[in-house]
Amino acid sequence: MANAFVAAFEILSFGAIIVLIVLGLGIIASMMGIFNFAQGEFVLLGAYITYLAYAKGMPIWTGMVAAPFVVGALGFVLEALIIRRFYAAPIVAMLGTYALGLIIRESVRGLIGGFYLTVPEPVGGSIDIGAMHISAWRFTIIVITLLVMAGCYLLLSRTSFGLRMRATLENPSLARASGISTPLMYGATFAFGSALAGLAGALIVPVFSLYADLGLRFLIQGFVAVMVGGVGSFIGPVAGAGVIGTLSAALPWVMAPVVADVLVFVLAIVFIKFRPQGLIAGKGV
Amino acid sequence: MSVVREAIVADASGEADEAMAEGTAAGQGRAGRKVLPIVEGVVLVAALLAPLVLQDYLTVFATRVIILALFALSFDLVWGYAGIMSFGQALFFGSAGYGVALLARDLDITNIFLVLPAGTLIGLTFALLLGGFLLLGRHPSSVIFVSLGTLTGSYAADRLARGWYYLGGQNGIPSIAPMTVGGYEFTEGPAFYYLVLGILTVVYLLCRFLVRSQFGLALAGLRENEQRIAFFGYKVQHLKAIIFAIGGAVAGLAGSLYAFHEGFVWPNMVGVVVSTQVVLYVLFGGSGTLVGAVIGAVIVEGVSFWLSDNYRDIWPIILGLLLLLVILFRPLGLISFVLGERERVGSFGAKAKKNIKEKRNAP
Repeated sequence: MANAFVAAFEILSFGAIIVLIVLGLGIIASMMGIFNFAQGEFVLLGAYITYLAYAKGMPIWTGMVAAPFVVGALGFVLEALIIRRFYAAPIVAMLGTYALGLIIRESVRGLIGGFYLTVPEPVGGSIDIGAMHISAWRFTIIVITLLVMAGCYLLLSRTSFGLRMRATLENPSLARASGISTPLMYGATFAFGSALAGLAGALIVPVFSLYADLGLRFLIQGFVAVMVGGVGSFIGPVAGAGVIGTLSAALPWVMAPVVADVLVFVLAIVFIKFRPQGLIAGKGV
Repeated sequence: MSVVREAIVADASGEADEAMAEGTAAGQGRAGRKVLPIVEGVVLVAALLAPLVLQDYLTVFATRVIILALFALSFDLVWGYAGIMSFGQALFFGSAGYGVALLARDLDITNIFLVLPAGTLIGLTFALLLGGFLLLGRHPSSVIFVSLGTLTGSYAADRLARGWYYLGGQNGIPSIAPMTVGGYEFTEGPAFYYLVLGILTVVYLLCRFLVRSQFGLALAGLRENEQRIAFFGYKVQHLKAIIFAIGGAVAGLAGSLYAFHEGFVWPNMVGVVVSTQVVLYVLFGGSGTLVGAVIGAVIVEGVSFWLSDNYRDIWPIILGLLLLLVILFRPLGLISFVLGERERVGSFGAKAKKNIKEKRNAP
């Protein structure tokens, strides 16, 4: 019983991490039609900023708060300078963002060297429920993920900003005719997606420690999750992330980790092949 | 040379009709054709002479570059000609490498006439399986799906190779016996270099024949406007699957040569790192021209070798910046400085050129 509970918690917390990472990727892919290969490096940057705050002797949470804002601002600048030119061609966008990601990743590698740097958890210790112990920090991640998810949903569906964003993405020319500044909305969407990646990086660095290829590991999982969930809506990628995260965390409990690792990807690709629209089809929030 | 330049300028500014009106159409056509063989000839001569002037360790390095150029060729066929973004080309490269390594390790088969066809076949088989699955089917697959599907395939293979004890896990398969023909062993050096160069030349010529055939013309059309080619009655998905399989076979050949040249295979060889490396070569050199892929591989590897002594840490950053600049300002790669856009379209038969011209005039 206790074991099953711990397993369930592990699965849940990994699922939450994947959801957190995919949120930004999904928003950019769904709303802008761009598969951002630099998203993994935005995660890495978020992690690096948190580490920097820790290394400078500041409280870790200051780094975690700063990370989304810094990465979001960077995303805004990059969108205005570079990404903007790629909207017409999805494949070129992939290559361009890949180049961006390469630059960021190698810069960070240059800064931290080839090391694995650990950052302590700002909320340490464990939560005891009877005889079971669960990591307090992982629990915090789950809570924050839920809050961020709810926040994103409300932002997109309930605010006028969200309305304008969706209008821009659904019908740009009509949106422009209605007086919405579409370039600004694209910039804001990209910045928002990047900020979410920065936040994800900041939150997961105590769990995975900081190394240059941190982002790459999640990037492909993120892409697969977005495709499984379905591009075009907010809820689709989140659902996909839930499925992929849960599967990748759950399968190693019942079979050899190597097989499980590969099986998740194979299952996902087969699923997408036969249901290209994904789990949740359709536009909207 | 000035004629050539004029021809390119005329081409670029879309004033080909004027040239034709002035009765210089034939000259223009000849000039447009002449540049490519010159570039190819220069590259070939340079490659032939290289071992004579290079030191031994540089010849070994040059051999590796030639093999990677062969690999780049395979990606160029798929992306440059058919417009299929294969982010997992290393899957075929690496699986063939692993395949021949296993042949050499477990069955003691190192005969060149067995291992190279075997490697090619492995690449072909994997490409047929993956390409068939991703590209064929009732509904045509989106470009995004194909590119992410190949990327995922390559990543999954990397993870599998890392975790599978039989394949050597993280360390891969070390100390593969050298390739043999009769009693002769191909070890690193000029002999291996010329072997690889010969193979590259043969494959290059075959590819050149292929892309200049009607098939190649259909592929180029497919890249430019898939729907129109479909309306012409071509089975677009079949064309894509075929070129994908051919690309896989070439990658397999390159992979088996690479395995024997380096003497070991390791998981990166099937993974995302090498997959993206080959994308870099082709984008730099110029996709859609075979020689562009070769030049791209030589430049990227050459410069990185040259810089890696002093600027090891910042070289990847420079590479990323350069790549970004090329994508933004030279989407056709460095080769587009000397070759016109029309080289990417190719030509088939004597009358084909006229058709192209008509196509160009179409809106």
